[in-house]
Amino acid sequence: MTDALLVELRGITKSFGPVRSLRGVDLTLRRGEVLGLVGDNGAGKSTLMKVLAGAVQHDDGEIRVRGRAVRFANPSDARAEKIGIVYQDLALCDTIDVAGNLFLGREPRRGPFIDRTTMHAEAARILAELDVKVASTHQEIGTLSGGQRQTVAIARAVSFAPDVLILDEPTAALAVAEVESVLRLIGEVAARGVGVILITHRLQDLFRVCHRITVMYEGTSVDDVPIGELDIERLVGLITRSEQREASA
Amino acid sequence: MTTTTSTGSPAPTAVRLARPPSLWARTNKATLVMAAVTLLVFVFFSVADADFLTFANVSNLATQVAPTLIVGVAMTFVITAGQIDLSVGSIVAFVSAVCAQLLLAGWDSSVVLLAGLLMGLGWGLVNGWFTAYQGIPAFIVTLASLSVVRGVALLRTEGFSVPIASTTFFARLGEARWLGFSLSAWIGLVVTALGLVLLHHTRFGQYVIGIGAAEESVRRAGVNVRLVKMAALGFSGLAAGVAGILIAARLGSGSANSAQGFELTVIAAVVLGGTSLLGGRGTIVGTLIGAILTGMIANGLTLMSVSPYLTPIITGAVLILVIWINLRGRGIGPLLRRITSRP
Repeated sequence: MTDALLVELRGITKSFGPVRSLRGVDLTLRRGEVLGLVGDNGAGKSTLMKVLAGAVQHDDGEIRVRGRAVRFANPSDARAEKIGIVYQDLALCDTIDVAGNLFLGREPRRGPFIDRTTMHAEAARILAELDVKVASTHQEIGTLSGGQRQTVAIARAVSFAPDVLILDEPTAALAVAEVESVLRLIGEVAARGVGVILITHRLQDLFRVCHRITVMYEGTSVDDVPIGELDIERLVGLITRSEQREASA
Repeated sequence: MTTTTSTGSPAPTAVRLARPPSLWARTNKATLVMAAVTLLVFVFFSVADADFLTFANVSNLATQVAPTLIVGVAMTFVITAGQIDLSVGSIVAFVSAVCAQLLLAGWDSSVVLLAGLLMGLGWGLVNGWFTAYQGIPAFIVTLASLSVVRGVALLRTEGFSVPIASTTFFARLGEARWLGFSLSAWIGLVVTALGLVLLHHTRFGQYVIGIGAAEESVRRAGVNVRLVKMAALGFSGLAAGVAGILIAARLGSGSANSAQGFELTVIAAVVLGGTSLLGGRGTIVGTLIGAILTGMIANGLTLMSVSPYLTPIITGAVLILVIWINLRGRGIGPLLRRITSRP
């Protein structure tokens, strides 16, 4: 982890009609850091990440990537700034094999034809490097378990060599062993110097991989705490704002 | 699962991961079952009728199968992309009738051939534009064009069959033979080969399969999915144009009433071959086998002097029977897992 800021969000706001989803969010991310983004449903986590991935355009506020102010009109702008995102639905094709999914939209070619030998060799190299557990790059995605699909989706995002990787609920609905392999992969990716933002409701996962937690509440970022200063109970308190409510009661 | 990812030796894992599966694992089992059924039917007719297994009849069978095969190959792309094209029979009739009229009007054969191809492609692109760019389901769009396209042809010809002079180059195409097989059969073979390469070895084919499986995933990967869908329907229109030309040339006339129910024969051939009607899984070899099977049943039954009205009944019964067998056959071992793991 380095001290130079990779991503800096300042006062991000976003309204959908009369609904103010984001009311001024601040967030920072460094290289090699895993940042946990938590908050109750409707707190604005996903909207904020869509803003950072270029899928949603913010109204006000500033996005700085590597110290430079940027504004994303669409997802490819964000991709050009080396920001990658894995959505909850993974965006994989069930009837295409693992290699085909890793290279979907950018298949290596020889003349007009897909160079399958190169594609499978490259895919195998990527998967072996990240230690992703699949039997073969020829396996159809539909035959994989939820955890394997998740790791393939993450491997696909990593293969674009992003500086920032956003993961939306990567461990939801996975078996215990599969959660382990996804968490290990997240650590692996961060160790390569990628800044990872992890959205999750599984609080125990945060303590396994995150360095820092940013808490959102009703469209604002309310806390930014190193993981060492937290335990589960305090974290739950930060998310539900129970202390404040008790204080004001 | 044991992996050898100890420090400094990721290479063996990568080699193991990329190792291609065995031929058996790669084979589409549904297609294999169909190939076996086709062989059985072939043997049955060979034994049941002495005229079936003669070169003349086999060559004749190839000519009869060709239009179904040509359109079937294009339809394989359409169905694999999760779409459907019900208008191909109407396009065949339209192209054959209008080509005959143009020849009658004195147009040169070469110009008429080009016009026939462009008319087929044009109708296909109209279907494709409404489907891909206007978001109307292909089933509805092509159901409408099924009616409109044949209607236009009927209006132009008033339902009469238009003769084609046997002296024209166009008509001679219908009699052209090479190595004992008709031009139709050779074109069918070439189209099948092109389809094989296009579906399994190009990005276009990969995106067709991907769109059938999860369109949104392919779109997010940066692929112009609308263009791919429109191209698939354009292909089936173009293929129907080719079939229309070949049928008119062979019969020596063009009729707006020809190729009634042709779309169902084609779709049956494609589905029999193992292409999934739900999209995401397509096989050109399967379509070849499916086209041969449906053609063979019609041909064999005709030879055996069975009532021609029995043919559609038997074809339909075989369709449902084979698909039933297919679903049973897949219920074993790893195939079961493969199917059940699909949503």
